[in-house]
Amino acid sequence: MTTTPRLPHAPEIDLTAPPIIRTIGQRALIVGVIGTVVALYIAFTNPTVFFRGYLVSYMDWLGICLGSLAIVMVRHMTGGKWGTVIRRILGASMRTLPLMALLFIPLVFAAKRLYPWAMPIDSIADPIIREHLQKHTFILRDYLNLNAFVVRAIIYFGIWFILQTALSRLSARHNSPPVSDTSASSKRISAPGLILYALTVSFAVIDWVMSLDPSWVSTIYGLIFVAGQLITALAFAIVIERVLFNYRPMNVLLRPSFVHDHGNLMLAFIMVWAYFSFSQFLIMWAGNLPDEITWYFRRLHHGWEYVGLFLVLFHFFIPFFLLLFRPNKRDVRRLVWIAAWMLVAHYVEIFWHIEPSFSQSFTVTLADLVIPFAMGGLWVAYFCRNLSSQPLIPAYDATAQDILEPAHE
Amino acid sequence: MPTPTIYGTMAEFKSAQQLLVAAQATHDAGYQKIDAYSPFPIEEMAEAIGFHKNRVALITLLGAITGGCLGYLMQYYIAVISYPTNVGGRPYHSWPSFIIVTFEMTILFGAISAVVGMIALNGLPMPYHPVFNVPEFVRASKDRFFLIVFATDPKYDPQATRQFLEALQPESIAEVPS
Repeated sequence: MTTTPRLPHAPEIDLTAPPIIRTIGQRALIVGVIGTVVALYIAFTNPTVFFRGYLVSYMDWLGICLGSLAIVMVRHMTGGKWGTVIRRILGASMRTLPLMALLFIPLVFAAKRLYPWAMPIDSIADPIIREHLQKHTFILRDYLNLNAFVVRAIIYFGIWFILQTALSRLSARHNSPPVSDTSASSKRISAPGLILYALTVSFAVIDWVMSLDPSWVSTIYGLIFVAGQLITALAFAIVIERVLFNYRPMNVLLRPSFVHDHGNLMLAFIMVWAYFSFSQFLIMWAGNLPDEITWYFRRLHHGWEYVGLFLVLFHFFIPFFLLLFRPNKRDVRRLVWIAAWMLVAHYVEIFWHIEPSFSQSFTVTLADLVIPFAMGGLWVAYFCRNLSSQPLIPAYDATAQDILEPAHE
Repeated sequence: MPTPTIYGTMAEFKSAQQLLVAAQATHDAGYQKIDAYSPFPIEEMAEAIGFHKNRVALITLLGAITGGCLGYLMQYYIAVISYPTNVGGRPYHSWPSFIIVTFEMTILFGAISAVVGMIALNGLPMPYHPVFNVPEFVRASKDRFFLIVFATDPKYDPQATRQFLEALQPESIAEVPS
């Protein structure tokens, strides 16, 4: 790796995003707008069902946005050509944070429909939760109340915004000459950033998902979501890199060894997810205490057990097995199928985390099927706009020079 | 003393890049049984000498599966057949508690098979190897790069092969007695 910047030359290849990205953005916007119309119809006819689906979708798309931020920070800490080649994709996806912040606002107004702690205590249907909140009054007084919920959300988004803008600004310097090296500054942001990321996501997940059942506590819960966010963020980036691979400049820049790294990272994230999820399960299963096991009891009966089994097989075993084989990791045209699959499987995971809190037996509502497309359509449109606004590679970054040189293979 | 039979013809190069180009050219010329030696791994080399298949991965996978099955069956045998114990009223065959040991055994057997498989496929331990009959070859672990065409190659001909290798401009060239 060179430390001295090379002579500031214009890159020989055009690094702007191909027009296909704009087309995808336009189509996504259409899907998003149609989806939003349908979703609004659901919202006015059956708001409770609407907000359940809304929360599932929200956690899913937020995961891609924040997971991208995390992978960008990991890349700044470790370096590596695998990251240089996708960091603008990840960057475009983390810059959708304003949309996610905006989409959070409805959840504040819907809190009393979703969260038992926001409801009048006598109207909580689940006797275990009601008794738990009556017995431990400090929960509502000190932590789980709407004011604290909003204040904490502002803190989370504030931290994410600071990290995201700081990194995006540094990266934007590399759009024009001269060649500069900002890796030291990026490291200074990313090192504390990764710690803050893990903590804020953990706390946010406690507030937004775990508090659906305030009587239940799991300390590893936030980390399960962290692993899930890394999976979906990387999977989304792989899908986009596959689309870009059909066009210049990515068809010359994306080499099998980079794709191999993306595949290996995907394998690692899936294993981490399985490790966290299984650890939580094993400890609660072994303890078999009413406070803990009720969460699984709900999720492993009345039809939900099949969703759980689906996750074990399709969120872990099958992708894990497929990712053991080198050819599946080295060719982006193959890896993309696993990545696209993980996006679906992960949505099912979040669905399985959230929906059983509302329904004893397995149900899928129209909201669960429509809102991911409504929200996703808008999100992808925003993403495509972000991706088109900058070159696909930070060409004037000193650490990006080696991937811009012609391959000597 | 019997006349030594020929093991192959070996060419010496000064840099990894030269070796890579030479290996590629030799492979392209139709030689199949060739090998390259260098002081450090050269990532593109396996591709250049046409070495595609590597059975270590398969051996590792089989080892890992065997280990996993053994681990599970061992616990099943202990917990259900040999010494059934009532733990908190759970069934004897409580699979969640078996998973950790099963996983560890999978990793252990996978790792051992990878190491043993790699050693076995490399033909190690090997107290004698003909390439060391060439005095220059000691530098293969220091600063020189070697390419050998084995005598077992169907295209091998002591004269023609030597001429071919000479055209690649090596530092030196030697016939390797076996």
